[in-house]
Amino acid sequence: MRERMQRFVLAIGCLLSLLVPALAQSGSTTTIPGQIPSIHFVSPVPDGEWTLPAGDYANTRFSPLDQINTKNVSSLKIIGTMSTGIPHGHEGQPLVVNGTLYVVTPFPNDLIALDLSKPGFPMKWKYEPRPDPKAQGVACCDTVNRGASYGDGKIVYATLDNHIVAVDANTGKEVWRTLVGDIDIGETTTGAPLIVKNVVITGDSGGEMGVRGKVVGLDLKTGRVLWTAYSTGPDKDVLIGPDFKAFYKKDQGKDLGVSSWPTDAWKIGGGPVWGWISYDPETDLVFYGTGNPGPWNPDMRPGDNKWTITIFARKPETGEAKWAVQLVPHDAWDYDEIMENIAVDMNWHGQMRKLLIHPGRTGYVFVLDRETGEILSAEKFQPVNWSKGYDLKTGLPDVDPAKVTHTGVNARQVCPSSTGGKEFVPSALSPRTGFLYIPAHNTCMDHESIQANYIAGTPFLGSSTTMYRGPGGYQGELLAWDVANAKPVWGIKETDFPVYSGVLATGGDLVFYGTMDGWFRAVDARSGTVLWQTKLASGIVGDPITFKGPDGRQYVAIYAGIGGWMGAAALPSISIDDPYAALGITGAMKKIKQVTGPGDLLYVFGL
Amino acid sequence: MRRRMKTCITFLGLLLLSCAVACNEQQTHAAASGAPPAIGIPVGPVPGPKVALNLPANPYANDQVALTEGRRLFVWYNCSGCHGGHGGGGMGPSLRDPVWVYGSSDAHIFASIAEGRGMGMPAWGTKVPEDQIWKLVAYIKSMRTPQEPDPPIVAQEPQVKRPGP
Repeated sequence: MRERMQRFVLAIGCLLSLLVPALAQSGSTTTIPGQIPSIHFVSPVPDGEWTLPAGDYANTRFSPLDQINTKNVSSLKIIGTMSTGIPHGHEGQPLVVNGTLYVVTPFPNDLIALDLSKPGFPMKWKYEPRPDPKAQGVACCDTVNRGASYGDGKIVYATLDNHIVAVDANTGKEVWRTLVGDIDIGETTTGAPLIVKNVVITGDSGGEMGVRGKVVGLDLKTGRVLWTAYSTGPDKDVLIGPDFKAFYKKDQGKDLGVSSWPTDAWKIGGGPVWGWISYDPETDLVFYGTGNPGPWNPDMRPGDNKWTITIFARKPETGEAKWAVQLVPHDAWDYDEIMENIAVDMNWHGQMRKLLIHPGRTGYVFVLDRETGEILSAEKFQPVNWSKGYDLKTGLPDVDPAKVTHTGVNARQVCPSSTGGKEFVPSALSPRTGFLYIPAHNTCMDHESIQANYIAGTPFLGSSTTMYRGPGGYQGELLAWDVANAKPVWGIKETDFPVYSGVLATGGDLVFYGTMDGWFRAVDARSGTVLWQTKLASGIVGDPITFKGPDGRQYVAIYAGIGGWMGAAALPSISIDDPYAALGITGAMKKIKQVTGPGDLLYVFGL
Repeated sequence: MRRRMKTCITFLGLLLLSCAVACNEQQTHAAASGAPPAIGIPVGPVPGPKVALNLPANPYANDQVALTEGRRLFVWYNCSGCHGGHGGGGMGPSLRDPVWVYGSSDAHIFASIAEGRGMGMPAWGTKVPEDQIWKLVAYIKSMRTPQEPDPPIVAQEPQVKRPGP
């Protein structure tokens, strides 16, 4: 009898232990305590797990978790660490699903699963996709990867050599793999896919290699390619059809992806999609921005060069374009606008509107109407002199011709540099403050164009560029930006380096981010006061996330591993005495080797 | 048990025999040609007694005109896009530093350019004529020396004027 009782208790215990993690972690919520009434979040935010690159569809990088808050963050400490063994740029962020934390490493793009239910978070398994080592030679900016998405029991991500892989989240076994690009013509894949309604949406990299930018939609079940939407070429390739409606006249017309280029130049014209993809369930639209046109030398491609540096809205199932707005026609600065597009409803000049917020490399925060693509506001958030501002009637920038490079003409003191007023590293939006927290850069450049030769699989640049710190005695800033009033609120400046990590905002009114010299910080979201910081083993170029463990406690995770484009200056394979090295960033990164070195670590913090 | 032992010995015997035949064959071959075995341009260590490698030398070494031409070709063939405007590295490693994973001799650098390397260095041997590869080698070897043509100038940080509103 007693034995039977014991067995019964044991069984109940087992059941409970299965249930508790599920309950403790839950997934996401639309209830955000303390949110200001003029903001409405359009997709659930993560309050336990972290299943998508930005945590949610809308790319807010906000979590309502508040166990760690302004009052107790000073006692935050390391709970777990893990070394990936790969001393290159650790961009992107881990995922947390069902009591397991998933890390995608830089090349060779291993997927590592850690068991969050056990002390020290031991490894459950490691999946090794073994991409082609030759891919490393065509990756422009270190051999990085920006993370995975979870859907239907699978972790889905890209390898550097253009395989999209789906891995069983429980067993670590490969479910499918699909090749979507070719390294021999300079294509790589570094961005994180977004999964929307059984479609895996992912873009390519290689704007410096003469690729033809594109986004691909794959069937989550089988990996079959459902649609491909190119960034250049005829409308049928760009998936511009009868439902397409551009707001501005400049973006209206047939086959602009061909006619805005010299003959056939669109075939090697760039416009890759290596940044963040977002989705709005209310309008059922996917949003992303395209990268720079190739080559960098603008004289070699007269015309608007559509659809490079363009924000697209597309239907997830078919890829059909709904609208597009080109932010920079005929780019002369390498201003990829692949940054996050945050979908949120907000009170805008007295009226609730469906907004898309895009803090860009151009140095402007763009606020768009996400139903139409109309630019409602474009305000500078860092020193900008390539243009005076945007004409919201035409959607065109007022460009300063003195800041446009030509063949043999060195445009000096152009701000921002190619690396932008901010890079791809994503900002966060808190509905409790209405502030956008931007990881900003203040770097300027001398930019000279030279003749570029197209040789497949090699750089297609035509540029000789050097960069340096911008005006004001600082080069980086975590900036709190009041979206509704389009103005800065507070900033934390970095003297020598740009801020090159993503940002996380939480319900505890904390903002987490890291610096290139390795400080990981928690800041008061309202005042900008640094409440806690700790020095990690390497510079930070990854994005912080937060989650609730199977024990019901809140944790914060971040990678420390310097690398990427500007961070590559810290790697031993780059010599600082050539200011033209690594596409011109070394001049702006002169001190990096003195303050940090390559690293390969995951850190998990808790109270 | 005994039978298994027997089989094993027979097998080993055969193995030794075949090896002896093979070694003998190699010896005969070398003796017949009267030359040391061709080993090309080895990247790894060469086992056994020291052998003079007789690596080919760069016909353009210290030829200032060739260095300048090498510099031009370095940009022309997009070497600068990967290895940095003046060889400081980027997608590919720095050529200015003293690290030479695949050997630092003129012949080794020639081979790296002509044959390519597994981490992504393309094989240029079918695209770039031999004399141009030697000129590239000459330019690369001149980096950080007084002979380097068009050396990078590390400018002082300019005082950037604060852009107007």
